[in-house]
Amino acid sequence: MANVKLTNVKKIYGKDTVAVQDFNLEIADKEFVVFVGPSGCGKSTTLRMIAGLEDISEGTVEIDGVVVNDLQPRDRNIAMVFQNYALYPHLTVFENMAFPLRLQKMPQDEVYRRVTEAAEILGITQYLTRKPRALSGGQRQRVAIGRAMVRDSKVFLMDEPLSNLDAKLRNQMRAEIILLRQKIDTTFVYVTHDQTEAMTLGDRIVIMKDGFIQQVGTPTEVFDMPYNLFVAEFIGAPKMNIVSTQLVREGDKYFVTPYGAKIEVTGKKAQLLKEKGVDSQEILLGVRPEHMTLAADNDSAAIPCTIRVNEMMGSELHLHVVEYNGDKLIVRVPTVALEDEQRSNMVSGSTIHVTFEGKVMHFFDPETHINLLA
Amino acid sequence: MRKLTDLEYLKLNKFQAFIYNLKRFFCAIPGWFLNLFLAIGRFFVKCGVAIKDEFVDIGTTFIKGNWAVKTSFLVFGFGNLFYGQIARGLLFLLFEIVFFGYMFVPSGGIYWLSKGHWFQAGATVGSVQGSFQYDAIYDTDVWVPGDDSVKVMLYGLLTIVFIIAFIYTWRLQVKQCRICMDITAQGKRIKSGKDDLKSLVDDQFHKTLLALPVVGILLFTVLPIIYMILVAFTSYDAAHDGYSNLFSWVGLKNFNELTDFGNGGLGLAFGEILSWTLMWSLFATFTNYFLGMFVAIMINKKGIKLKKFWRTALVMTIAIPQFVSLLYVSKLFDSSGIIGESLGSIPFIKNYLETNHYISLWDSPTVARALVIILNIWVGIPYVMLQATGILMNIPADLYESSRVDGASPFQQYVKITLPYMLFVTGPALLTSFVGNLNNFNVIYLLSSGNPINTQIGSAGGVSVGHTDLLITWLYKMALGSGESRYYTASVIGILIFVVCAVLSLIIYNVIPSTKNEEDYQ
Amino acid sequence: MKNKTIQKSGLGARASRRIGNTIIYIILTIITLVWLFPFFGIVMESFKVNVTGMDGELFPEKWGLDNYTRLFNDTDFLKWFLNTALMGVATAFFQTLFVLSMSYALSRLRFKARKPLMNLMLILGMFPGFLTMILIYKVFSEAGLTMQMAPVGLVIVYCASSGMGYYISKGFFDTIPKTLDEAARVDGATRMQVFYKVIMPLSGSIVIYTILMGFMAPWGDFMLASYIIHENSQGMSVAVGMYEWLSKTMLNTNYTMFCAAGVIVAIPVTAVFLGLQKYYVEGVTGGAVKG
Repeated sequence: MANVKLTNVKKIYGKDTVAVQDFNLEIADKEFVVFVGPSGCGKSTTLRMIAGLEDISEGTVEIDGVVVNDLQPRDRNIAMVFQNYALYPHLTVFENMAFPLRLQKMPQDEVYRRVTEAAEILGITQYLTRKPRALSGGQRQRVAIGRAMVRDSKVFLMDEPLSNLDAKLRNQMRAEIILLRQKIDTTFVYVTHDQTEAMTLGDRIVIMKDGFIQQVGTPTEVFDMPYNLFVAEFIGAPKMNIVSTQLVREGDKYFVTPYGAKIEVTGKKAQLLKEKGVDSQEILLGVRPEHMTLAADNDSAAIPCTIRVNEMMGSELHLHVVEYNGDKLIVRVPTVALEDEQRSNMVSGSTIHVTFEGKVMHFFDPETHINLLA
Repeated sequence: MRKLTDLEYLKLNKFQAFIYNLKRFFCAIPGWFLNLFLAIGRFFVKCGVAIKDEFVDIGTTFIKGNWAVKTSFLVFGFGNLFYGQIARGLLFLLFEIVFFGYMFVPSGGIYWLSKGHWFQAGATVGSVQGSFQYDAIYDTDVWVPGDDSVKVMLYGLLTIVFIIAFIYTWRLQVKQCRICMDITAQGKRIKSGKDDLKSLVDDQFHKTLLALPVVGILLFTVLPIIYMILVAFTSYDAAHDGYSNLFSWVGLKNFNELTDFGNGGLGLAFGEILSWTLMWSLFATFTNYFLGMFVAIMINKKGIKLKKFWRTALVMTIAIPQFVSLLYVSKLFDSSGIIGESLGSIPFIKNYLETNHYISLWDSPTVARALVIILNIWVGIPYVMLQATGILMNIPADLYESSRVDGASPFQQYVKITLPYMLFVTGPALLTSFVGNLNNFNVIYLLSSGNPINTQIGSAGGVSVGHTDLLITWLYKMALGSGESRYYTASVIGILIFVVCAVLSLIIYNVIPSTKNEEDYQ
Repeated sequence: MKNKTIQKSGLGARASRRIGNTIIYIILTIITLVWLFPFFGIVMESFKVNVTGMDGELFPEKWGLDNYTRLFNDTDFLKWFLNTALMGVATAFFQTLFVLSMSYALSRLRFKARKPLMNLMLILGMFPGFLTMILIYKVFSEAGLTMQMAPVGLVIVYCASSGMGYYISKGFFDTIPKTLDEAARVDGATRMQVFYKVIMPLSGSIVIYTILMGFMAPWGDFMLASYIIHENSQGMSVAVGMYEWLSKTMLNTNYTMFCAAGVIVAIPVTAVFLGLQKYYVEGVTGGAVKG
């Protein structure tokens, strides 16, 4: 149990391929931090630098106040779960889980106690004498987690542990990791490319792109106040609609004018704009699909669109629509809000009117792509 | 030549595309060699820069270093001792003492170096010629040994190696000493001897693993090869064996002999043997490759039973030592061998042999050459069959199923799926086996011993040359088989074999797509 | 374009397969006969009585073990055989040690000299290795490692540079996922522990392959052995010793004996080889992919 601190960490491969730079982060004791980003963003590299599997080109990594840059992985007292499980094929499940303990020359009864305890928690007791190849993907994943659990490690590192599982199993294991976390109560660093995993698991999320941290914050913070356009589009599914338009200030009121409609900004966002003293300007307006609603045709805020695709998701419809300028938008409509007749009219090619919720809009600078309110 | 865009290329018909690729292939050849030379150039530039950096670093180390660092410029390991690395320091110091001891004792390093007359054309290697001198005690002439050229050259070479090691060690300990100083300045702990030992099983584990194999290679391959290259510039042979007769430096004389294309000339012999070697290698590699693959496909075909039996029958040829099987087979085709006799009684062949006054099939150059190639199929197919079996099983079955649905016949499947896949995967192995066949001593020497004698060349390099001789069997005869033992010619040919292998590898490497990226298969 | 009608083209699917398979069986039978014929021939020759040279007959006129008794009573064959067997065992041991160390280091560890070392070995491999004998023979004869001591010298020759033959086992190690090493290191293993606790237990087949290759080397080598042994009967390996028997002068007296000796040499080697065939095949197949 320990805190982890990364200061100005930089990773260069070969001569000048920069994988990670300016990485500054302090992870508190017992915190669950998730690194998330598209592939190649440097999240795994950072994790592997914490583990000691990659050299650190510049900067320092501290675990529990000790600079570990020059320490071998085995001297850092960490546990790690790999994407492809990395189970030793020649050892039984029991011996796989006991492996780190054997290396510490722990007495057999203690090894037995710890391994069986962990197996109990993970529900793999009946497989202890099997070899890994006789296990299913989910069971293998449990063994890998078990192997990390049996040690009293200071930090628990997980490198995309769920991405080799099928969708159903992934959801199940995700829930189990949340439970597991309550049981083993240590510092977690978790890497994933899946924003849903990041949002559901993390106390804090670190969003990365091209080796740089884009934003660090709680799931609510990054969802409600994305620092920039990249974060806004990366978090949330289906992804946020972005419209290039005007922000108009009329006295104390703010309006946006997408596609000729005029929509007032309301609530907290309007207040923040006022506090920051933002003036009328060109902006990129971001609106999440769930924050778009159907409107009456005579509403001044209504935007007429043509439906291209109607995806029926069960509890909601995902409407892919085209605005008359050719911009493509996605609208999420809860099915309960629709009359049967309305639903049957929503076919490809038909026209609907939509509008934006005024209180949950995001405003980005068209040049820097940074949130005007950040 | 202009490179077509992808879409332009797709417009070409089969023939045009072939011509286009052929043109591009030949246009690319100069590029390979250019790249090679550029790479060599870059290598030297890199070396130059590295050496320059070293000198700059040594300079700054001396200027910035404290007195302990400065002292270690003269006394090895002083800095290590000063900073508490006792074991390392003592080892360095010991090395220095041993080095100077060896260099300056009588008949030490300096002695051997000065005897060598290195590369002075006409000068002997070693200075005192042994001779028979009258001995009063025995009242007869006894042999008073002088220098042994072989030893002079070997010890000279070793001394040079030792000097290089000395310079390297000097540099190493100065550097370490400076690192110690820097670490102390930063207030960190210096690694102890115990840490050094520990790191040998961890982050320096490669040193532990590689120590023995690399020393073995240095002593038993690198050193002898350098020695061999030196021999090419001397007159070392049986008559000048260095002990009873000193041999001497001859400059480029041995290489100049290669320009002799007259009867028995080295140039003619080399050209003849090289062209046969290449032809042999080409045939041997490709007949085995395609026939072996063919056999593998037959054995692995769905529905063929007794797969294991067929395979084992072929694998027997690998199991039984070649000298037994090949020597026996060679005798089978002899005039009194079972096969040779019955073939020889076929009227057409009998007629051919008699009109040319050949006793056995092995006496006819053409037949002998054909025979070694055919018999090599017998030797080689099992290897290829095994390799191909492994790869065939890796070809995804759905490729065949989908192509069957698309309407491909078995033959089309072979040409369009199996062959391209095999060629891609086995490209590098094909290269290795081509170069391996260039030097396939066993098959040739045990089957035909290089015979029949090539009367046109007669003898070259001190030995008679046969029609089926490869460069390697020629070399073998030169060094062992004849009384003359012209080691110097053998060395020249050895260097040429290297050049041939290197050039061929370069070309093949550039042609085969799958050799380009080591990591592709990982 | 006209629509193709669905119809049988030529023979039916099952019939054509049966004909195809029959042809394949015929070809395979012929191949097997051709491939096994020499071994059959050698065995037949070895049982001939009263015939010592080549008589152009496949089957013995009279059967007997004369050649075998002569082999053990009148020649040094037993000595050669033991020499070669001992060399095989020693070579297997040291060569395995060298090859595995080298290939493991090159495959799993990353260090500055790795690429230069591989390039150096690639270049060295293009020189005819035979020429190293010019120096090695001279040094060995000074050190007394030729003639009757040749087996010792030969083991050194076979093993010392064997690290250069790292390709096949490196190819094998390359296929073991890297994350296993990483997991073990995070679990607290040193690199050496990774080597013998994780990778070695997974590499049984390549270890056996390397041992097999080492054991076979002295049985098959003629070139280096003949140089080092220099016609000393006490130090000969079977290859060098038996080669003499087929020289022009000895052929008529020793041919059938050669075949008898061949049978005796072939039996243990073939037995070992066929027993471990599975591992050999794995090695060869891996090597094909890796080059």
